[in-house]
Amino acid sequence: MLELKDVHTYYGNIHALKGISITVNDGEIVTLIGSNGAGKSTTLRTIQGLIRPRSGSIVLDGIALDKVAPHKVAELGVAQSPEGRMIFPRMTVLENLEMGAYARKEKSGFQQDLDRVFSLFPRLKERITQKGGTLSGGEQQMLAMGRALMAHPKILLLDEPSMGLAPILVELIFDTIVAINKEGTTILLVEQNALMALSIANRGYVIQTGEIIMSDSAASLKSNEMVQKAYLGIE
Amino acid sequence: MIKNIRTGLSFGIVAGLMTFLFGGWSVAVLGTLMGVGLGLGLGGRFPRKDPLKIAAAAFPSGLVAAVVLILLSLYQNSNVMDAIGKKPFAEDLALKANLLGFFGTVIFTSLLAALHGLPEKQERFYKMILLAILVVAFPFVDQATSLRWTAQIIFALIFVILGLGLNIVVGYAGLLDLGYAAFFAIGAYTTGILSSPVHSIELNFWLVIWIAAAMAAIWGLFLGAPTLPLRGDYLAIVTLGFGEIVPVLFKNLIDVTIKEPLTCWILPLFRIQTKCIILVEHEDLTLGEKGISPIGRPSLPLLELGEPMGSAYLIKLALMGLALALVVFLLVRSIRSGNKSISSLIGYGVALVGILLVFIPIPLTGVKFIDSLLGVLQPGEFESSRPVTWYFLIIGLILLSIFIISRLRDSRLGRAWMAIREDELAAAQMGIDPVKTKLAAFAMGATFSGFAGAFYAAYIRGIFPSVFDFSASIIILCVVILGGIGNINGVIVGGLVLMMADRLFLPALKDFLSLLLTHTVLPSINDPVVQMAVKDNANPILYRFLLFGLTLVIMMAVRPEGLIPNAQVRAELHAADEEKKG
Ligand SMILES: Nc1ncnc2c1ncn2[C@@H]1O[C@H](COP(=O)(O)OP(=O)(O)O)[C@@H](O)[C@H]1O
Ligand SMILES: [Mg+2]
Repeated sequence: MLELKDVHTYYGNIHALKGISITVNDGEIVTLIGSNGAGKSTTLRTIQGLIRPRSGSIVLDGIALDKVAPHKVAELGVAQSPEGRMIFPRMTVLENLEMGAYARKEKSGFQQDLDRVFSLFPRLKERITQKGGTLSGGEQQMLAMGRALMAHPKILLLDEPSMGLAPILVELIFDTIVAINKEGTTILLVEQNALMALSIANRGYVIQTGEIIMSDSAASLKSNEMVQKAYLGIE
Repeated sequence: MIKNIRTGLSFGIVAGLMTFLFGGWSVAVLGTLMGVGLGLGLGGRFPRKDPLKIAAAAFPSGLVAAVVLILLSLYQNSNVMDAIGKKPFAEDLALKANLLGFFGTVIFTSLLAALHGLPEKQERFYKMILLAILVVAFPFVDQATSLRWTAQIIFALIFVILGLGLNIVVGYAGLLDLGYAAFFAIGAYTTGILSSPVHSIELNFWLVIWIAAAMAAIWGLFLGAPTLPLRGDYLAIVTLGFGEIVPVLFKNLIDVTIKEPLTCWILPLFRIQTKCIILVEHEDLTLGEKGISPIGRPSLPLLELGEPMGSAYLIKLALMGLALALVVFLLVRSIRSGNKSISSLIGYGVALVGILLVFIPIPLTGVKFIDSLLGVLQPGEFESSRPVTWYFLIIGLILLSIFIISRLRDSRLGRAWMAIREDELAAAQMGIDPVKTKLAAFAMGATFSGFAGAFYAAYIRGIFPSVFDFSASIIILCVVILGGIGNINGVIVGGLVLMMADRLFLPALKDFLSLLLTHTVLPSINDPVVQMAVKDNANPILYRFLLFGLTLVIMMAVRPEGLIPNAQVRAELHAADEEKKG
């Protein structure tokens, strides 16, 4: 479905991605783990078209994405719950969700998707008229994910959905990710919380200073000695 | 209760002091307007229940306001007029005016407050009707009472349209534009160039106004394009630059030569001998500082009694009626069915064609009998001596603007504007094209200043580059901020309050002060230099911008969300207060 081949991305002359290759197949949860500053968010931004790769290719279902404007990428079926959530602070929860559906061609499934989001996140339904900016951190994360789901994407990019959340909420968010995937959405999950990410993903990639240093099934990564040492905190 | 009385008292004092400036019949008009304002303000303070109870509760405030008003007004007529050396208003007339003012205040206060007791939909409906009656009646009352406010109010209404246009750019899309008067200038100059005998092109106003709007929109795209990558401060600075450049450009378009590029440059490049075709040679397009004058004015059928014109008019009127009926039908249907976009577009198209049709001259052939019947259907030109026609023209333009703008706001594009305002990056991730969205904001915003510019040029009958300088941009921005960014009603109130203060209140205050000084302080000053200094400096118009600035500073400190705020902005600005309370 989504294939990155030898992608190089720069911020000015900072070489942030040094030849990344990632494949995500239909229906999978693929996770990209790595420490702070490794280039995880940069990878997602590059896919979305917010930054241009200097070389390499990004292909979604046979369509090259690397020269497509971000709003066109959204129309092609890529939705992201970005780092820092970036919800619209002065719009209500409902308006935020409506904005999520902006790029959709067919409007008929809107109500159905709204119901789906509310059944995944009942908390959002309770706060439907509240302004996005006044939600708590966990609720904002739910809203960011719900908003991305409203686009009815082919592939959902999640950037550290567990960041800054209480353990109970983290568990809820990860359960929801699994539920979303079961309903048929392909997911590329970026996480620092490697243990949780690897326990729900099918496959995983490990990124370090802009390079993929390992890729394997989630289970084998979890039992890999080096991964355990560096990312799972197991000696 | 005490609070309501206090509100009534302050309204009464303000309106009463205003009668000092205007005198005569003003007490009746001011009383009515004050009653409306007071009623609107008080109504919201009561819970939505029995209208009669609300009316009764609002009555004392209205009474207090009315008493204060007429006491001050009577004092004005008996003492103040003397002090400024004018003859008092005749006693029987003064009595009538004060009675009208008194009852106007009391009745309208109670009536408008009472409307709040009705269910919300009904309340809005009746308020609209009442407002419509006031708007329609105003110029006639103004004429009857010879207050002569209409001409000044037309200026205020021009700025209302400008404010509505700028509100799209600043309020909806969140792009701070400090050079908006440039588009006002483009609209006005387009009208000036295309309908002035100076250039011997005299197009019909009803055509030119659309061309002016289109020109402004196109320039909105051109001037908007370079600002696209910019945000916040940088955007403001660049728009400021454009705002300065455009009037200077118009000042200097006095020797324009346009050569046809193919014959003059391209063919000679290939050594092909041709005669260079010069399209325009040494044409004085804008007449520099002198400005373009006179400028053609709109004319309308049914405006004047006069010579029979011809049965052609009957056909035109029938066509107009048909077009109008079709538009109404389409609108009603589109509103009913909820499918708003396509049918309403057709509606606009038909309306446009209908309007154009009516003004295309049809050869005069006619049956005598019909002609004599149609004796009344003589077209008349709008004249400066009759502000009423201009007043209704601009009211029509404002209604059109409000209709289009509120449609836009609720459309997909309107949503995209607000998303861009909130977070451009996130908006792009939602599939919103920031380039198209921002350009649409600039173009749509400019369109309305094109309307305003065309109207202004035709109304003033002449245009001069100095009108459109930086201060005009700032005043329009003040209108938006004072009224309430992002709110149509707010911008209307802001435009009326600010511009009436500027065009009506300050000049009246100036006359009042100078008369007062001439009859009181000045004779007692011996030194002629000091005397002159006092006389010259007691002119509030000199401090116009100081007063604007002061108003803005006070507003920002006391009520930063504007007079009639956008609900979202208010929620945000006062979130901190509510947290404290809660
Ligand atoms: N806007 C930016 N400008 C310059 N450098 C950046 C920018 N964003 C990220 N970087 C750099 O790129 C590298 C990767 O960052 P990022 O992708 O955000 O890491 P991660 O999401 O894995 O924590 C870091 O070294 C970071 O400093
Ligand atoms: Mg990151």
